[in-house]
Amino acid sequence: MKRLLWKNSLRYLFRHPLLIGLSVLGVALGVAVVVAIDLANTSAREAFSLSAETVTGKATHQVIGAGEGLDERVYRDVRVGLGVRDTAPVVEGFARAPAYPGRTFQVLGIDPLADAPFRSYTGGVGSDLDLSLFIAQPQTGLMARPTADALGLALGDTLALTVGGVKQSLTLIGLLDPGDDRSAQAMDNLLVVDVATAQDLFDMPGRLSRIDVLIPDDAQGTALMARLEAAVPEGAEIVRSAARTRTVEQMTRAFNLNLTALSLLALVVGMFLIYNTMTFSVVQRRTLVGRLRALGVTRREVFVLILGEALLIGIVGTAVGLLLGIVLGQGLVQLVTQTINDLYYVLRVRTLDLSPWTLAKGAALGLGATLLATLPPAREATNAPAGAVLRRSQEESRVRDRVPKMALSGVALGVVAGALLLLPGRSITVSYGALLCVLLAFALLTPAAVVVFARVLRPVMGRIFGILGRMAARGVVTTLSRTAVAVAALMIAIAATVGVGVMVDSFRETVQVWLGYSLQADVYVQPPSLVFRRNDASLDPAVVERLTTAPGVAGVYSVQTIRVTSSEGRTDLVAIDQGPNTRRTFRFKKGDPDEVWAGFQGRDMVIVSEPYSYRYGVAVGDTITLQTNQGSRPFAVRAVFYDYGSDLGVVMMGRETYDRYYDDPGVAGLALYAAPGQDVGALVEALRARVGDAQEVIIRSNRALREASLDVFDRTFTVTIVLRLLAVLVAFVGVLSALMALQLERARELAVLRVNGLTPRQLWRYVTMQTGLMGLMAGLFSLPLGLALASVLIYVINKRSFGWTLQVDVSPEILAQAVVLALLAAMLAGLYPSWKMARSNPALALREE
Amino acid sequence: MSRYAFLAILLLVVALGAGAFLLRSDSGEPIQASLALAEAMGGDTTGYARAVEVRDLIFPDDYGPHPGYKTEWWYYTGNLNAEDGRHFGFEFTIFRFALAPSDTASERASAWATNQLFMAHFALTDVAAEGFYAFERFSRGAVGLAGAQASPYRVWLEDWSMEGVAGDPFPMRLRAAEDGVSMDLTLEAAKPIVLQGDRGLDPKGPEPGNASYYYSFTRLPTTGTITVGERAYAVRGLSWKDHEWSTSALGDEQVGWDWFALQLSDGRDLMYYQLRRRDGTPSPFTNGILVAPDGTTNPLALGDVELEVLDTWTSPRSAATYPARWRFRIPSEDLDLQITPHMPDQEMNVSVRYWEGAVRIDGTAGGEAVTGNGYVEMTGYGEGSDEEERGRRGPGG
Repeated sequence: MKRLLWKNSLRYLFRHPLLIGLSVLGVALGVAVVVAIDLANTSAREAFSLSAETVTGKATHQVIGAGEGLDERVYRDVRVGLGVRDTAPVVEGFARAPAYPGRTFQVLGIDPLADAPFRSYTGGVGSDLDLSLFIAQPQTGLMARPTADALGLALGDTLALTVGGVKQSLTLIGLLDPGDDRSAQAMDNLLVVDVATAQDLFDMPGRLSRIDVLIPDDAQGTALMARLEAAVPEGAEIVRSAARTRTVEQMTRAFNLNLTALSLLALVVGMFLIYNTMTFSVVQRRTLVGRLRALGVTRREVFVLILGEALLIGIVGTAVGLLLGIVLGQGLVQLVTQTINDLYYVLRVRTLDLSPWTLAKGAALGLGATLLATLPPAREATNAPAGAVLRRSQEESRVRDRVPKMALSGVALGVVAGALLLLPGRSITVSYGALLCVLLAFALLTPAAVVVFARVLRPVMGRIFGILGRMAARGVVTTLSRTAVAVAALMIAIAATVGVGVMVDSFRETVQVWLGYSLQADVYVQPPSLVFRRNDASLDPAVVERLTTAPGVAGVYSVQTIRVTSSEGRTDLVAIDQGPNTRRTFRFKKGDPDEVWAGFQGRDMVIVSEPYSYRYGVAVGDTITLQTNQGSRPFAVRAVFYDYGSDLGVVMMGRETYDRYYDDPGVAGLALYAAPGQDVGALVEALRARVGDAQEVIIRSNRALREASLDVFDRTFTVTIVLRLLAVLVAFVGVLSALMALQLERARELAVLRVNGLTPRQLWRYVTMQTGLMGLMAGLFSLPLGLALASVLIYVINKRSFGWTLQVDVSPEILAQAVVLALLAAMLAGLYPSWKMARSNPALALREE
Repeated sequence: MSRYAFLAILLLVVALGAGAFLLRSDSGEPIQASLALAEAMGGDTTGYARAVEVRDLIFPDDYGPHPGYKTEWWYYTGNLNAEDGRHFGFEFTIFRFALAPSDTASERASAWATNQLFMAHFALTDVAAEGFYAFERFSRGAVGLAGAQASPYRVWLEDWSMEGVAGDPFPMRLRAAEDGVSMDLTLEAAKPIVLQGDRGLDPKGPEPGNASYYYSFTRLPTTGTITVGERAYAVRGLSWKDHEWSTSALGDEQVGWDWFALQLSDGRDLMYYQLRRRDGTPSPFTNGILVAPDGTTNPLALGDVELEVLDTWTSPRSAATYPARWRFRIPSEDLDLQITPHMPDQEMNVSVRYWEGAVRIDGTAGGEAVTGNGYVEMTGYGEGSDEEERGRRGPGG
């Protein structure tokens, strides 16, 4: 008997290949998006920790300086003066290899005679290190053998590099043999050079990036720590390597979390899809189930049967989804890496890291979601008494009875969502939970909305399309249990695109406005930096001199960015010159401009950007402590300014103040004002010619910089937009299958219509009208939901993730797009059933199974 | 003696094999670079200063470094006794190597850029406990990590140092410590400087330039403290200093050497080395000197010394077999000595293995009984077995 039941089940599945195929596709897409995003995130994280491990080595602690770098004498004092030998100097940085576009090497400058306790690279034949070349010869280095092979480089070859725009070269004098694939990956992008070579490359004479230290976790270690602390100068400090790595890793936390949340959205839409398919399959076999029940098959058996079917769809869909996810992940990981490189730090991801954990999670999500979505229809089929199951109309009236109750629970859920959002706190997860509640609330309200809408529209439709129009509108309500689900699924999918679209648009508009007022100078100069949003290179003083004294330049303002340790952690500190226009380039969220600008240069005060203020809870009137070359110094926070340049936040001080506390004449960028009457385009050309070959610098007009910034902005949102499109795709598949199921289910009804004289053409019109109506409803309902989602994304999630205030900008196009998209999807979905019904013999359809 | 060949090996090891310090084998053990002597002698001397002619050594300048020469070392050994008679031997040497003939450092902004490399060996023999401790360090000669200077006199590698107490070479303070073994000694000079070879120019082969500049202080009364683990010992005794620099190459047939620094109870000191040839016979460029209690010197030539190996010892580590007892006779001086290591295992287990140890002397001088202590260095014994070992491990360890 059981076997017979299963056979019947399989037979059913095989007889509806298209529907089942769409369901499988729905599950597959949902799982694929989640898995792909997770894989991309994990791979980026793995690549980061690998490269961090490689350069950190076994160091338990690091001695770091107040600003960029540490006086190398500290190393001598520790090693010679204190005799602490588990120490190693490190000078590190990044270099581009112009011959290999897209290649950025991590350059690790070490002392080979001190480095053994920290980093070990296994060597093979020909990997003996020749110190007379490594130490005594300038510009020599080592590279992993697989990398050299891949780049077609051999021992003795010279690799051209640029560091902060300055041309450099490195002769390969040794090849490192990675022991296994993991270290091969870790060393893929690594150039190992002598400390001296690194200092020359990065123009850091006298300075180290850090000192690596091994401090055991015992009493001896504590004593050693105390000795070291007494020995390091004011401003320098000893930090745990792991903590330092973690800080960097955490920079992308919010970014990763948001991607994950968006990917889950695709799964939610996928769940609606499964729910719809399973409901349909149950409804279709209502008579069969009734008969089986009448024959003595228990409820439990029927329940298990339906779950089993769903599981089958779930398994196939999940399997396909995992494969699809891996393929998709290959593309997404590049986008994610690009964003990280634009915004946070230099990262190269060589391969997609197929973490079994991610795949398992994806599988569990896929199967879990399928089963969850199947529960309601399975219960529907089994709970009803055998006789009632046989009658369809009773079921529909039951659903209609439930509409007010569902609407009420929708409202209740909406209240819960509101409460969650209003709850003070910063949890992004809670925010997304609230977002989910909003979605569900709208879904629960959908049946009521459909009923109301259909009632309102029926006379209108009747007036325009005649009896068919009225029938179409009525049909939507009579099969409410099906139509409501389809409309809700479509609505959620479309709303997601509206929400994300409005958010991105608002963000872009806000950034555009910000760029408009914050970029006031005519020409901007900076060395090419590896991370777009961070100036990590300095301008050659000779270049600064040449630019400053160029004819046609009326004013020059410099900016310097360094990373310092503050009471709040590692902080980007920006020092700026102040000119007559400076005031206009900042807008304060809090703080008095008159007071700030009067004392900005020279006084011990800073202003912080909005994300910084949010991230670290720093407000006007607070004091933050910065490590300076004179030790820890308190600075009063006098204003919070709007800034969309860095989600990590920056602290800004006047250049005069900076010069008092930091022993750093460096300039990371210049803003130049053209003399009155000077043509900016000509000035840019003249400046470029003036700089010549001394250093590769980017000289851009105001407009060019603005465009470049927006380009980066758009690039960083590529992932989001891709996800949005994927969600649309899932939604489309969902609607297609939902509406198709609905129309196929109504084959009998349509056959009756045919028999009663409806022509195929009229039938086509009837079906299209009905699906179109549902599409319209979904499109219209998606607008308030989409705006609600956008508000949550902008006011809560973005705020909590990055601390930005965005100006909401709703463009009518996005809204119109949503409605059109919904209509189009719905009408497309109606094509196949109406085509099929029009062609089939009504007599056949009338025959019961 | 000339340990120039030894230095040449070390230089090559350091220059080529110090990859061991970066490129470690999977086991985490540094790759032990071992090279046949002949291999080491292939070193290119082009561009380096050579010891071609006799010149006046000028002090204090010549106490300091001679960076144009490929190799140089400041070498201290000694035999010391604690108050309870516990006997200690020590070796503390700082070596300097030029990694390249010309120094490009001056053209480079980085202070780390240098062609000067320093290495130090510190070994302590604790006879009563049969303890032998040997340590090795490397550093570049830059940013104050390691270096040598004539005035004030200071040669150092990190916190191991040889320093003139008042800036002059004597009294001299030696300080070295590692892994619970430490030494802090003060040395006075009991005899004037001894210029080895021909007024300080010590030839190593027939070719001009194949020689070193070499001077010694052969008798340095020493006091200080030696610490082994928890226990500190007040010690006194005699030390010996050598300072030598060269850019030399060794002949094909020479495989190693035996070097003796002996301090006799009658107030005389004796230095003797012989280069061993492949067939086991000493090379004609063998040299020695006898220093009288008043500091007057008497050179020794190849035929003057009769050296007979009475016993051997095989190292459990390297499987190399070293001479372990000698009969040392200078018939012309009526000197007949028996030289016995204070303990057999004083093999230096460092980048290049060699045996360097404290020895005890018993014998007769002019019919009178004479005793004493000294240091012996032997190289080139372990190579055959080392090479086998290397063959087993495969190239590069």
